[in-house]
Amino acid sequence: MNVKFIQNIGEKTIDTFASLYEGVKFTLICIEHMLRPSSYNPAMKMVLTKQIYFTAVSIIPMFVMIAIVFGSVIIGFVIALASEYNLQDKIGSIIITFVINEFAPFFTALLISLRSGTAVNTEIAVMKVNKELNTLIEYKIDIINYLFLPRIIGGIISVTALSIIFALIMLSSGYLFTLFYMNMDFHTYEQLLINAIEVRDIVILLLKSVAFGFVIMLIPIYSGLKTASAYTAIPISVLNGMVKLFIAIFFIEVLSLLLQSL
Amino acid sequence: MVENIALIQEFHQLLSINKAEQIASEYLSKIALTHISQNRLNQCSLLEIFYIMFIRALMTQEMDVIISSPLLLIGELQNMKNVINNLISLNGNKNILILDTKTNEIHYEGCSCHIVK
Repeated sequence: MNVKFIQNIGEKTIDTFASLYEGVKFTLICIEHMLRPSSYNPAMKMVLTKQIYFTAVSIIPMFVMIAIVFGSVIIGFVIALASEYNLQDKIGSIIITFVINEFAPFFTALLISLRSGTAVNTEIAVMKVNKELNTLIEYKIDIINYLFLPRIIGGIISVTALSIIFALIMLSSGYLFTLFYMNMDFHTYEQLLINAIEVRDIVILLLKSVAFGFVIMLIPIYSGLKTASAYTAIPISVLNGMVKLFIAIFFIEVLSLLLQSL
Repeated sequence: MVENIALIQEFHQLLSINKAEQIASEYLSKIALTHISQNRLNQCSLLEIFYIMFIRALMTQEMDVIISSPLLLIGELQNMKNVINNLISLNGNKNILILDTKTNEIHYEGCSCHIVK
């Protein structure tokens, strides 16, 4: 009984480490391809352009609406709370830290995961089941360069660009709430933000967006690749991919908080 | 389908998308299939898919094109001669080798391709 229990734990541990090793290996291979200039051929560039269009450009109207609604409510709540606790003198750094370092990249990552992460996972899983990946390999077309790299780079560019847009919308909404709660004019609000913002905040926004963009595409691609050869395996693959993706997003968020607190 | 065919040359010869698609269109026009240029796979007949697969094989750098049991792929027994003629008109300098069973030998009579039975 005890031996079987220990055996099960051992098997699970080995499986976990084996899949972790596979995942890390795949990540390193993708990064290595990303750094190789020969990966960037006309076919790949075309897929990259389409990927940026589908991930970032086509979502803009909906994204701006969501950013205005959610962003305004949340920044309004933060400003109301700050004025209630007499933190008016700290309002600049509170807004900058909350919007630029935390909320904008995190919320953008969640939105893009739900929209593009699922799409990419399904797409790769369907290609795997239909053996389209095998056909590409038969024709000696490097699937990392042609399929994965444009999606990963497109994801990084899209999440970074959309995070910046989200942050700008939230900062603009912030002005309306400071005007309402604190009677603050635009010039004072502008100065408050300029004094509060540091290069470090911009670097954090960019680094987090790049990390989020990378995992938002990498994990669904990897999950799609691991799909078994049956149509019924596609929903399972998307489900597993999304769970892993959300764990990774929260891990990056916690890691960034830990690093910032050092 | 043009995009599908062009991809191989874009990747291996590093041709621009326009140039590769132009070459693909030229191949399709040789066998009067320009009307399927913008079709997707599910809009093509078995015979059209067979020709697309053959053109894609011609796009690669390999010198030998091996077709295994084409009659199973296209299911057009009575038109086999036309099919072979189209394959010859598409081919430039590659070696085309057809592998098929002896029972289908009659369908290849008079063909100039190298047929292994």
